[in-house]
Amino acid sequence: MLALFRCLLCLYPADFRREYHEEMTSVFRQAYDVSKTSNLLAHVSFCSRESAGLLLGALRERARGIFGFNEWIPSRRFDMRLEFRFPRSTVFLMVLIFAGVVLTISKASGIELKYGSSSAVWPSLVLTLATVVSLALASAVFIWGILFALQRTGVHRLADLQTHSSDPRHGLSSGPSAPGS
Amino acid sequence: MRKFAVDTRKPNPLICRPTTYRCSPYMQIPPLTEPVLLVLLSLAEQPRHGYSILKDVERMSAGRVALSTGTLYGALRRLLEQGWIERFAENEALRDRRAYRLTSKGRRNLQVEIDRMKHLTRLAGLRIARKEV
Repeated sequence: MLALFRCLLCLYPADFRREYHEEMTSVFRQAYDVSKTSNLLAHVSFCSRESAGLLLGALRERARGIFGFNEWIPSRRFDMRLEFRFPRSTVFLMVLIFAGVVLTISKASGIELKYGSSSAVWPSLVLTLATVVSLALASAVFIWGILFALQRTGVHRLADLQTHSSDPRHGLSSGPSAPGS
Repeated sequence: MRKFAVDTRKPNPLICRPTTYRCSPYMQIPPLTEPVLLVLLSLAEQPRHGYSILKDVERMSAGRVALSTGTLYGALRRLLEQGWIERFAENEALRDRRAYRLTSKGRRNLQVEIDRMKHLTRLAGLRIARKEV
């Protein structure tokens, strides 16, 4: 099992191994020695947990190295953040891309019916596809720009904000707030 | 016309909504997950080595949370990077016997998390009590 542990540790990035290899091996050895004295089921559970933990950990560290993000790679509940919301803009963009694909397919079908399945239609099809993809990308960038600008200005936060009564100390005017309060 | 108002000095916990969480001072830090919270609680008591943390987390959760070595060190690395904990070597010659301790930032953030949990517990108690009436 220690050999397997060492093999799985090799999946980690080099800098992580350099920093934690000895420590992790030492901790694993201690835990493994204790696990050996327990019953078979507990021992199997320990081995599978360690293997899965190392595999997931290596995957997370690799992904972090490649993509540079760390906060929302799922690993049980480890990195889950309640603040994370699937952006609505993504849904819109997905619909846009889907519409582009459908349009391309219908266009291609029309061309195929008109000219038959000749290789001469390919340049036209490729051009249409490239145009649709370019338009979709341009729209995506445009929408992202608007959303980014909105986020920077904090308009959505202002909309969510609970307003308060006119407080002489702050001079805030009242607005719609929780009824019955 | 009557103006509805919420007095910020006396927040009504029964109408607390997620939007107000952003405004609360102790809601600035994202909620911690259970393993991370247990690791921090383990280090809050005293500095510990890796294996000691594993055992303490298991003991605190009554065996429910059993961290693997990979999971533990992934969490420790992130906490180290964020400056919540620090590592120190009792003996420089023994690289595998390094210990971890909570920094002042980590302790402060842990307190924030505990306050958040207290708030949630109080809120849950009030809401459940209201339902039972």
